[in-house]
Amino acid sequence: MSKYMVVPAMIVVMFVGLVPLFAMINYSVQTPYAVENVFVGFGNFLRVLTDQRFLDSLRRTVIFSFTVLALELPLGLMFALLLYEKGKLNAVISTIIIIPALLPPISIGLLWRLLIRGSGPIGQLAAIFFPSYNPFQNAAHAYYTILAMDVWHWTSLITIVVSAGLAGMDRNPILSAKTEGATRWQIFRHIELPAIQFPLVFVSLLRLIDGLKIYDEVLVLVAGGPGLTNEYVSLFIKTKTVEEWLVGFGAATSLFYLFIVLMLCYMLLIVMTRGKGVV
Amino acid sequence: MKKAVKTLVRYVILISAMLMFVFPLYYMFSVSFSSKPHIEEGALVPDGFIEHWTGVIAGFSGVGGQGIVNSFIISASSVLVSLLASIPAAYAISRYKFMADKHIFFWFLTNRMTPPACLVLPYLIMWRAFGIWDTLQGVVLAYCVFNIPLAVWLLTSFMASIPKEIDEAAFIDGYSLARYFRRIFLPLIRPGIAVTSFFIWMYSWSEMFMASVITSVTSKPLNAQLIISLGRVGWGVEYGMASAAGAITILPGLILVYWARGYLAKGFTFGRI
Repeated sequence: MSKYMVVPAMIVVMFVGLVPLFAMINYSVQTPYAVENVFVGFGNFLRVLTDQRFLDSLRRTVIFSFTVLALELPLGLMFALLLYEKGKLNAVISTIIIIPALLPPISIGLLWRLLIRGSGPIGQLAAIFFPSYNPFQNAAHAYYTILAMDVWHWTSLITIVVSAGLAGMDRNPILSAKTEGATRWQIFRHIELPAIQFPLVFVSLLRLIDGLKIYDEVLVLVAGGPGLTNEYVSLFIKTKTVEEWLVGFGAATSLFYLFIVLMLCYMLLIVMTRGKGVV
Repeated sequence: MKKAVKTLVRYVILISAMLMFVFPLYYMFSVSFSSKPHIEEGALVPDGFIEHWTGVIAGFSGVGGQGIVNSFIISASSVLVSLLASIPAAYAISRYKFMADKHIFFWFLTNRMTPPACLVLPYLIMWRAFGIWDTLQGVVLAYCVFNIPLAVWLLTSFMASIPKEIDEAAFIDGYSLARYFRRIFLPLIRPGIAVTSFFIWMYSWSEMFMASVITSVTSKPLNAQLIISLGRVGWGVEYGMASAAGAITILPGLILVYWARGYLAKGFTFGRI
C-alpha cells in the first residue's frame, strides 16, 4: 500500500518535467515559428546544425565549461588539502570560503560588475597596471573576467566535496607511510588520491553540467557581449524562444542542448551507482 | 624551521584566499550604504547613506518591496510543497523494491539537471494556457521540477540509514502509518528534513531565469526585479539600489552558512558523499 506514496511526487514531476518535453518535441517538428501547425520533419534540426551563431555559442559553452573545470579542480583540491588539518583557524577559513557557493548567481554577476566597472576596485587597479582592460568592449577581456568570476563562485564547491571525501578517509596508512619516509607527492598519489577519486569524478561532472548551463552571471556581467562574443547556449535559446518567438527552431535547439546535458548526466549516474549503489 | 616556513606559506595562501572571497561581499554592502557620488568614486568605505536600503525595502523604482515579500512566499511554499510530495515518495523508494526504481531515480536526476533554458518556453506557453502565468503558485510549481527530485534524492539517502526493523516493530505494536510517521519516523530524520529544506529554500530564493519569464507584474520575486533594473545597460544602472537588493539576496546564505557547513557536501551531491 505505502508503495504508492511515490505517486504524488511522480505526478508533479511528470507535469513539470515530462509535459514540457513532449511539448518541445511537438514544436520542434513544425515550421520555425510553429504557428501553422505544419509538419516539417527534421527541418529545424538541420537548421540548428547549420546555424553559425548557435554553433559558435555551443563551442564557446563547451570550451568554457572545460576551462573553468581545469582551473577550479586544482585550486579546490589545493584548498581542501591545505585545510585538511583540524584547527580553529582552519574551521573559520573553511566556513568563509564556502560562502560563494551559497550565493544566488545573479548576485555573483552583480558583485563582479561592481568590481570591474571603471570606479570599482578591479577597474581602478586595472587602470594603473593594465590600462587597456575593458571588459565591456573587448571580448577577450570579458571572457577572462567571466572565467575569474566562475572560479570565484565555484572553486569552493570542489573544496567542500573533496574535504568530505578526505574526512571519511582512514588516516593510518598516511602515518605509516610517513614513518617509512614517503614524500608528500607519494602520499598524495597513492593514499589520498584513491580515497577521493569518487568525490573528484562526481564533482567534476557536476561542474561540467553546471558550466554548460551558465546564464545569470554572464547576463548580468556583460549581457553576453560585447556584441555576441560571449553568448552562451542558454542566452542563445532565451533570445530565440521567448524574445524572437522562433518556437519550432528554439525547441529543436533546446532538445539538442538537453541531449548533450543528459549524456553527461548519464555518466554521472554511472559514477554514482559505482560508488554506493542507487538507493 | 622548515616546518615553520611551510606552516607560514600555508596560512599566507589560505588567508589571502579567504580575503579574496570576503572582499567582494564586503564591497557590495559598502556600495549599498554609499551615496551616488560616493559610489562613482569607488566607495571602498561606505559613507553611511541608508536611503538605498529604505528605498529597496519600500520598493521604489521597481526593485524590492513586494518583490521581497514574493521571494519569501515563493521560497517558503516551495519548501512546504516539495516536502509534502517528497517525504512519502522518498519513504516508498527507500523501503520498497520497485520494478524500475533505478529508472525513476535517473529520471528524477535528469529533471534536476535540465537547463532552465530548455524549460522556459514550454512553461510560458503552458502556464498561460492554464491561467497560472504571473502567479506565485505558478512559480512554485515551476520550481518543483528541480526541488522535488533533489528532495527525493536527499531524503532517500537520509532514510536509508534508518533500519527497516524500526518500521516493522512499530507496525506490529499497532501503530498506523500516519501515527508512526508523526511520532517516530519524522523525528528520526529531522536533520535530513532540515538539510533538504535548506537546499530547497536556497534554490528557490536564488533562481532568476525561470521566474523572469513566467512572471510579469504582480508576482516577480526580488531576483527577477533585479535583473530588469540591471538590464538597462547604458541608461546608468542604479548601483546603490541594485547593491542593496543584491545584499538582501545574499543574506540567507550568509546567515545559514555556519549552520549548514557540515551538510553542504551531502546536499550538493544529492546525498551521495
